[in-house]
Formats: sequence, structure tokens, C-alpha cells
Amino acid sequence: MIEFHNVTKRYEGGFEALNNVSLQLDDGQMAFITGHSGAGKSTLLKIIALIEKPTRGQALLNRVNLNTLPRQRIPQLRRNIGIIFQDHQLLFDRPVFDNVALPLHIQGYRPQEIAKRTRAALDKVGLLHKEKSMPITLSGGEQQRVGIARAVVHKPMLLLADEPTGNLDPVLSREIMQIFVDFNQVGVTVLVASHDLRLIDELDKPRLTLNGGKLILNDLNHSDADQRNGIIDGSY
Amino acid sequence: MARTNTKRRRPPTTNRISAYLLHHLQSLVFSFGKIYHAPATTIMTVAVIGITLSLPGGFYLFLKNIDALSGDLRSSTQISLYLDLKTSEKQARALEKSIAAMDDVAVTRFISREQSLEDFRRDSGFGKSIDTLSSNPLPHTIVVEPGDVETFTVRSLQNRLQAMPEVEIAKLDTEWLERLYTIIEIAKRSVTIITILFAFAVLLIIGNTIRLDIQNRYQEIIVTKLIGATDAFIRRPFLYGGIWYGLLGGVTSWLIVEIGYLAISGPLARLNLLYKSDMNLITFSFQDFIVLITSSTLLGLAGSWIAVARHLNQIEPT
Repeated sequence: MIEFHNVTKRYEGGFEALNNVSLQLDDGQMAFITGHSGAGKSTLLKIIALIEKPTRGQALLNRVNLNTLPRQRIPQLRRNIGIIFQDHQLLFDRPVFDNVALPLHIQGYRPQEIAKRTRAALDKVGLLHKEKSMPITLSGGEQQRVGIARAVVHKPMLLLADEPTGNLDPVLSREIMQIFVDFNQVGVTVLVASHDLRLIDELDKPRLTLNGGKLILNDLNHSDADQRNGIIDGSY
Repeated sequence: MARTNTKRRRPPTTNRISAYLLHHLQSLVFSFGKIYHAPATTIMTVAVIGITLSLPGGFYLFLKNIDALSGDLRSSTQISLYLDLKTSEKQARALEKSIAAMDDVAVTRFISREQSLEDFRRDSGFGKSIDTLSSNPLPHTIVVEPGDVETFTVRSLQNRLQAMPEVEIAKLDTEWLERLYTIIEIAKRSVTIITILFAFAVLLIIGNTIRLDIQNRYQEIIVTKLIGATDAFIRRPFLYGGIWYGLLGGVTSWLIVEIGYLAISGPLARLNLLYKSDMNLITFSFQDFIVLITSSTLLGLAGSWIAVARHLNQIEPT
């Protein structure tokens, strides 16, 4: 699903957000990206979501080379991805239902189909009764669940989440993570960036740990033995 | 694998086409709903466009009326032939017949010396002084109305009539009309310039309104781009917004001009009465209305297109 070959991302001004990162995430896998803030977690997700392009190295999504993908093909590829943001990125000028229906609307589904799928997604995150509410009236956890419903409503193959539990208390965080695990169980590939190590420990999923833009730990089956040593000798 | 997966996930083609049309319709309604729900900004923008367009619109109507009026004047072009005093009435009437038979002459009218004197006595108020004259100083007169009112043909007719031995003076009294025509021509070009300038102003007004609209919906644009909206999808509501502004602005300018003409129609009716003229005020024809509305709508589309092309591509998620 996702392949990185020696990916380096250097921003203007010389800051190197990712340094020579290689990894492979297979279809149907679920993994966490961990590391301190500024370690490169968001940059890694942004490269997969086609928000940033690698400076060096190759990034592939479904064997499509993201380095050379023409601008006009970006929307089509993004439709295979569901993205969940720490700050939800909901549109506050319209009710919950319309927020969740947006991806289907963009992809040109018929109204009956939109209504069916949107309600199914809202039901999945337990917010069917809030479909007519405005997002501003919802709690932080509910807003995040609306964000998740919007990310999964069009049944993407890949789910990306950037600090989805960043602003939530432990109980809510666990609920949110459980939703991701549920989706993974039905075949969706899931990649979650989080620094909530206690919660990650509970879930027993492969980890990618970044430090200063370098991948210092890779639990995925294609991991590099040397990188794994990083955690054993305690450098992280 | 990616491709087959993508294909499988797409709705069937027929649905996609009707969904595409549906989105156009939704954008149309949505963009109208948006401007409907922000009446203050909408009214201001539409009013500015309406006032801006009403100026060239009003000038155009003014010229149309002047044109019609001068057309009336032109069709009343006459050449007066004052005949030699030695010409007898019989000769004069024969001459009138031969002139009336000419190809480029529409109508002729004969006024005898005696009748001219009668008319003069009656109209001038100098009756008594005329009675003191020993003989009638006025010549026989033939009034010729040319068949064709083109300046060149009228001039050539005048020259030919002047060349006739019986004709003392062939008088064409249209020099002031020529001057008027030149002035109208200058006014027409000025209106063209004004129209171009004001059309450009409307373009800028709509472009700026749409630019602000794009800025206000920055967040929405980012989010829709992130979930796979194409540029065309994002562009559409803004383009329809521009179309609405143009359309409503065009209708407003039409109303302004119509109301303006209604306001001056009272004094004009009195003027008509004073001049015993039957000139009717010409307002926008249906065709003019369609042209006005279509061009303002197209200006709206063009203005929003410029704004969208300039600003929408700059908004990318970071």
C-alpha cells in the first residue's frame, strides 16, 4: 500500500523533516507513527496525502509514484484515502450530516446513496442522533468522531490520522483508537501518528518511531534489523 | 490493483453524468442561496454593478432616441427651388411635372407666386407694407422631397436642379443637420468608450467580490481539496456566484434606466405638446434587454473566472 524508499524531505530554509526514511506498509496493516513533536510524523503523513512532495527518494501509494504524479491526478488518488486531523477540520457553517456527506458529494454519488452511506458512517461512530446538529454544539470527542465518519464514509482503502486523540481525555482517546482498530479489522489499512505511548502500548500494533526525521524503529515485517537495534540499545 | 479498486469504487457512468448535472444544479442553487442569505453584501454588490451598467445603458437609450429623432428630421429633407421671376406659371407647372418624374425625387409641391404672397401676408404680419408694393417680388416655388435622404445623392440632386435654366436658387437647408450628425457620431463613439470602461469596472467589481468570497471560504476549500475535490468542483460555485451577480446587476441596471426614463417622460410629453410633435420616447426593446442581461451575466462569469484562476490555485493544504 505505502512504500518509502530513502525519502528525505527538506523544507525551504534547510530544515530536514525526514531523513532517508524507508518503509513498507502492506494492504490491511495497521501501524502507529510515534516520536516527539517535530520528529517528522506529520511530514510523513503529508507525503502520503500528497500535501508535500519528497525532496529526495521515492514515495509510492498503491504503486503510484507520488513524486511525479501530475497535479490533476491528485484528487482521484486522494479519494482512496481518508484523513483525520487533530483539529477535526470540520466545516462549521453546515450540520453534521453535510460535513460527513462531503466526500460522497465530491465523488458524485446520488442523493439517496449519499443519505444511506452518511447515516451508516454516523451510526458507526455512534452519532446518528446528532446528524442535524451543528458541529459547534458538539463536544471535542464528538467532533473528532464526526471527522472520522467523514474520513470513512466513502470507504477508503487507507486511513491516515494525525494525532487524532491529541486534545481528548484518556477514555475518549481509547474509544477513538478502538474505532480505528475496528476499521482495520474489516480490511482498511490504517496509519496513525500519535505520541500517546501508553495507549499505543495497549493496542499491540507495529510502530514506526521517528526521531529528528530519522526512522529509528520499524516494527513492520520489512523492518531493518539495524533500525530495530535503536530501541534495544536505548537510544530512544 | 489500485486502478481496479478505483474503478470498482466509482458509481456507474450514467449515475456519474446525472450526478455531474446535479452538482451543476446544486452549485447554481447553492450559490444563489449563499448570496440570498447575505443580503447586505449582495445588495451592495448588485447595486454597484447595476449603477455602473445603467450609465452606458442610459447613454445608449439617449442616443437611440436622438437617432430616431434625427431620422425623422432627415426624412423631412427638402430642396426649395426658387424659379426665375420671368418664368410663367404654366412653364413652372410643367417643370414641376418633369422634376416629379425624376427617379430620385419622392414628392414635389408647387407654390405659386400669388400663394406665396398670400402666405407671407398672412403669416408675417407685414400685410400692410406688402400692399404698398407695386408688383409681387416673390418667385414661383417648387418644393422637392428627395427619394433618398443620403447626403451624397441629395447633394447631386441639388446640383442637377440648380443647373436647370428656370431655377434661380436650389436651396438645401440641411447643413445644421449634418452638424448634428457629426455630433451624434462623436457621442456614439464616446458611449462605446464609456461602455468598455464600465464593463471593465464591472469585471473588477465582480472579480473582487468573488476574491473576498474565496478568502472567506478558505477553510472549506482546503478541506474539500484534501478529500479529493477536483479544481472544477471547487471552482463551480464561485463561477455561478459571478453569474448571479452579473445577472442581478444587469436586471438592476435595466430597472434604473427604465425608472429614469419614466421620470423624464412627464416633461417630455409637455415638450411634445409645445412642439406639436408626436415623438415617442424609445425605451429598451426586448432585444436590448436580452443583450444587456446576457452581457452583464457574461461579465459576471468572466470576472469570477479571473478571480478564481488567480486565487484558487494558490490555496493548497499545508
